[in-house]
Amino acid sequence: MINKLSVALAATLLTASALAAAPKHPDFTGVWTNAGAPAMGGTTNAAANVPLPMLPGPKARVDAYNKLVQPLGETPGGWCLGTGLPGSMLGSGGYPMEIVQREEQINIVYEAHNEARRVYFGARNAPQEDRVPGRNGYSSGHWEGDTLVVETDNLVDQIDQRFAHSDEAKVVERYHLEPKLDDKGRRVLVADMTLTDPKFYSAPVSAQKRWAQVPNGRLLPYECAEEGWTARLAEIAKKAGVPVP
Amino acid sequence: MNKLITLIAAGAVAAALSGAASAHHSAVQFDFTKQVPIKGVVTHFRAINPHMQLILRVNDAKGEHLVEFEGHSTNNMYRNGYRKGMVNEGDIVTVNVAPLKNGGEGGYVVSADLAGGTHFGMVSRSLDAAKIQQQAEGK
Repeated sequence: MINKLSVALAATLLTASALAAAPKHPDFTGVWTNAGAPAMGGTTNAAANVPLPMLPGPKARVDAYNKLVQPLGETPGGWCLGTGLPGSMLGSGGYPMEIVQREEQINIVYEAHNEARRVYFGARNAPQEDRVPGRNGYSSGHWEGDTLVVETDNLVDQIDQRFAHSDEAKVVERYHLEPKLDDKGRRVLVADMTLTDPKFYSAPVSAQKRWAQVPNGRLLPYECAEEGWTARLAEIAKKAGVPVP
Repeated sequence: MNKLITLIAAGAVAAALSGAASAHHSAVQFDFTKQVPIKGVVTHFRAINPHMQLILRVNDAKGEHLVEFEGHSTNNMYRNGYRKGMVNEGDIVTVNVAPLKNGGEGGYVVSADLAGGTHFGMVSRSLDAAKIQQQAEGK
């Protein structure tokens, strides 16, 4: 009798302990790669999958940009410039990304150009006036059940994006895990993106990216800017009349 | 003659290096539905980002001359079999390239067969244009 009681008590305690230890949110920590269609990536703004509700003024700017650079085959990535939002979260040129998740902060590194994003939660957030504008903006996160919601502002004007935008753009990303593993047995992280920008668009634009987890995956280093310095060093040496050391 | 070729090669490499940054282009200028094998002697090779640099001395209907190529990032090359020291100046190699859409010489190196039978490449000798294009896109 005592033994049965002991077993029941132990089982109850174990269940309670397991519930107490259960993470509040899904853990997205790990390396993720393209899960397949829709294959989004790169920085070109010439291949949006759907017609964009772009206003005439910005459209003229984007068309002028494309007319200028496309015949040359030039891209920002070719000059070692990071992709920026939303291109980074939509595939970053086909390279993988790594997520490191803590309760108060999530760090995301896109392998291409070692592009890094930091998503802050709650009290970790910086005051609005301290947020530095950039190609990936400033990101704040919160959870809605098992869905991670990331809101990004403080973006800079980027007409080189697939979804070109102004400095008034705001991006909302919603991340959730698919309930089932894919046919290769991998977890799949779905990212739904909505961009609103009253300067550029008459309506919100959206896109989706699916990432598959790479078990024990590692990002590779992506050094890119060295060539620019090598070329500059050659110029300096030439001007000084000495060989490159 | 060999000295002349060496001088020409050295000049071309210098020119290529001086314009190295400007040689980084989008993948859209290459036709990834085609794959053309080109054999030559390596006169310049650098595994760098965003694009690998390669100059081969080829001998074809135009005679002996230098042809410049670019290719995948170091990261994608390592993911597909390349390792440090595999390609050296003077090596005879055959590269499989996506040719330029404008018909110009050169192209985008998709894979390579090296002296001694070593092979590295994006999709193991098979032509998977969609995958290659996606991985090359924008870089």
